[in-house]
Amino acid sequence: MILVVKGMSQAHSGVKPMKKILVVDDEESIRFLYKEELEEEGYIVECAGNGEEALEKLFVFRPDLISLDIKMPGMDGLEALKRIRQTERQLPIILCSAYGEYKQDLTTWASDAYVVKCADLTNFKSTIRKLLGLS
Amino acid sequence: MPGPLHPCDLLKSILQLSNSTIPIDVKLDQMLQSISGAFQSDQCLFLTPEKIDKNGFLSRVVSEKKPLWVEDGPSFPKENVPLEEAELLCPTFACIPLYDETSLQGILYIGYSKHTRFSPEETDLLLLIGEVMGGVIRNDDLHLKAEETISELTALHEMGRAVTFTLKLENLFELIVTTGLKILKAKGGVLRVEDPRTGELKVKCSLGDYHQNPLDEKMARRVFYTRTPLSFNHSGEEKPVFSVLCAPFLSKGKAFGTLAFYDRDSDSSKFNEKDLQRLSMMANQMSCAIENALTHYETSRMAQEHEKRVKELSTLWELNKTLLTTVNFERTLHLTLTAITIGEGLKFNRAMLFLVNEKDRVLEGTIAVGPDSAEEAGKIWDSLSLRKGTPSDLITQLPPEDHSTLNSIVKGIQIPLAQEHCILSRTVLEGRPFNTQLPQSKEGELQTPCERGCHLGSEVGCYVGEHLSRNPKVYSFATVPLIGKGKVIGVILVDNLYNQNPITEEDIHFLSMFANQAGLAIENASLYRNLEEVHQELKETQTFLIHLEKMVALGEMSTTIAHEIKNPLTSIGGFARRLDRTVPEGSQEKKYSETIIKEVSRLERILNDLLNYTRDESLVFKELDLRDILEESLSMVTEEIHSGRIQLVKEFGEEIPKIIGDSHQLKQIFFNLINNACQAMKEKGTLFVRIYSFSKNGSSYVKVEVEDSGKGVDPENLHNIFNPFYSTKESSLGLGLPMVHRIITSHRGQIEVDNHPGKGVNFIITLPAREGREK
Repeated sequence: MILVVKGMSQAHSGVKPMKKILVVDDEESIRFLYKEELEEEGYIVECAGNGEEALEKLFVFRPDLISLDIKMPGMDGLEALKRIRQTERQLPIILCSAYGEYKQDLTTWASDAYVVKCADLTNFKSTIRKLLGLS
Repeated sequence: MPGPLHPCDLLKSILQLSNSTIPIDVKLDQMLQSISGAFQSDQCLFLTPEKIDKNGFLSRVVSEKKPLWVEDGPSFPKENVPLEEAELLCPTFACIPLYDETSLQGILYIGYSKHTRFSPEETDLLLLIGEVMGGVIRNDDLHLKAEETISELTALHEMGRAVTFTLKLENLFELIVTTGLKILKAKGGVLRVEDPRTGELKVKCSLGDYHQNPLDEKMARRVFYTRTPLSFNHSGEEKPVFSVLCAPFLSKGKAFGTLAFYDRDSDSSKFNEKDLQRLSMMANQMSCAIENALTHYETSRMAQEHEKRVKELSTLWELNKTLLTTVNFERTLHLTLTAITIGEGLKFNRAMLFLVNEKDRVLEGTIAVGPDSAEEAGKIWDSLSLRKGTPSDLITQLPPEDHSTLNSIVKGIQIPLAQEHCILSRTVLEGRPFNTQLPQSKEGELQTPCERGCHLGSEVGCYVGEHLSRNPKVYSFATVPLIGKGKVIGVILVDNLYNQNPITEEDIHFLSMFANQAGLAIENASLYRNLEEVHQELKETQTFLIHLEKMVALGEMSTTIAHEIKNPLTSIGGFARRLDRTVPEGSQEKKYSETIIKEVSRLERILNDLLNYTRDESLVFKELDLRDILEESLSMVTEEIHSGRIQLVKEFGEEIPKIIGDSHQLKQIFFNLINNACQAMKEKGTLFVRIYSFSKNGSSYVKVEVEDSGKGVDPENLHNIFNPFYSTKESSLGLGLPMVHRIITSHRGQIEVDNHPGKGVNFIITLPAREGREK
């Protein structure tokens, strides 16, 4: 509850332009949850269902941060990460997966953070704030 | 002619004498006295043919076969008269030669010291008397001959009876000697027969007195080798007078024995030629019979021996058949000893088996079979005699007997092979059997060769000494080596404590033969046992592998399921939290949403456990100080410790060697153990965390103990605690301890559980210290 109050206060501060976050996940429920939660935190949220869609939206939406699921049909998160990094060296990218096993994959090192999915989004949100330099 | 002569009286007395039964010498003597009395002569003699000198005048009388009448003695030519005959040259004398059909019997001589004349009546009378005397001598000769013939015939008859009476050697020998004694009227007799193996003459039968001296032996040998009868009359001054007759037994020109007789029964007389002839005749007659009896004896002895061999072999075969009924090691040992003790088998009272432990160089008492007391022995033998069947049937029917005192005593015996005075060790070291008989001492106790006072020079003997149920006069026992594949693998000890039968060399021989067979069987059973053990190990490994495979499959499946559930669960939990924020505090809906959040959290925790367990993480092995790891693990559960509910006691050693390991995994397992400990102590408690190092066999190890003061593990569950999915806790998948086990094993470590139900449990982890590479 404390976090919520804190988020709300940021959202209404209006001092800085609102940060844009691209949420990439094949699960619609997860996209919905993240969008709701992050918008409540005061971010502008755009969603993509897979790697190709994410790449398309990257240039249109111009996000300040990408949350990238790993296991997806079509182009998966790790492939998308490589492609994005070819142009966007500085863009903060959080790999967000249901499992911890990808931690050993060297590709994941190209991301800025690795968050294991959890119903409790506290960790996820604090990671985003840290990467956006908000905390 | 002086005095009146009464021819009728003289003839009457001569005739009476001639018909009387008195011995011939006396008879002749009395006749001469009668003649001398009647003729009133000064000398009246009977001269035997042996006494007649060839050159004298008597020999002339003999050769002329005419009586010599000399009335004018002094004119008788005295030249060339031998000295003995000179006495006979009286003034008047007569010599009347006595003949039977063929030979001279002697000369009747009558002499007068005064000159006188022989009237025609007198000469006729003397001639007549000469005829009568000749007849008397002839009769006596005939009588003697007849008697001799009868006695020889009797002897032969008795011998003949002896031969037909028996074929039994001892009886035959005795009969021959007895008969010989009777015929020869001897004091003692000896019968000797050549031993066909050694060639020596052996006394087979001796009766009465005989001279057991070297001369006797010598004489028998001489008779034996010369194959001629011999008589020997000793009449020395120092040694007592004795007389010996000896004749060989001959068969096909070869001597095979001797028969000798000693000293005539009547006082001074010695054996004569006749006796020797009779003995020779007897020996010749008997040779054939003795030879037959000897052959018969030899044949029956061989037959007996063969029969015995056949019996032995068939027993051996039976016993071997028994041994072949099993390859079980213990059963083989038991059967072996039973075969040794059973009446149909080797018939020993008790048998004990000791096996060589090559590694420790000791003999170990393995098994024993035998009754505990004489009463029990009697009962067993009685019941066995009622059973029917072949030995192999009997032995295999007998139940394994494991409760005898002897068995349990023997099982506890260990004798170092270095203990060389012990007969058991010697049997192994020298690889040969020992047959020992301990005699009773004067005090009534058994004499013992061992300074420790035991009867066998080992604990067995001490035992035997203490447990002698009766006080036997002697105690016999034997040991034989048990040989398997060319080496001594053990010793069998047998005794006849209860019936005290002597143990013969043949018994030992038979036992050794059986022991060789049994040794092979035991060796085989032992190999089979090893094989079975290896097989069992393989089976266990296989079971374990199958189990492992199952676990892997289960792991893969659960990972897949966990993955599929994880995403929906995240959404459910996330939205529940969103809902929760909108629901007013204290409302009924608040409780609902909180319940959803709580349960989702639990599900997520379980899924994480599962994924952590099954995940095949590549490990990062680094040099670590376990104290740091423990501190970090402890910091994760500080809440319970800070609240004061649980008191933490840290016992950290100062110099703990570093280990090589994955810090993440190790942190995880110590956290699991500490967390379990905290949960085990529901109310208050003390948590001990210890770390120390130790060395073993030149390697260093680090030990970590996590001990709680909870209830401990239910002994029923103890063997399951490291099995995955076995949990006694409601909110756990039961992967905590299995994970600990898996990780410790992958770190080449060990985990032990020191469980005290009701008091707590101590998990002890041992990890190898880092090898001293710095050096």
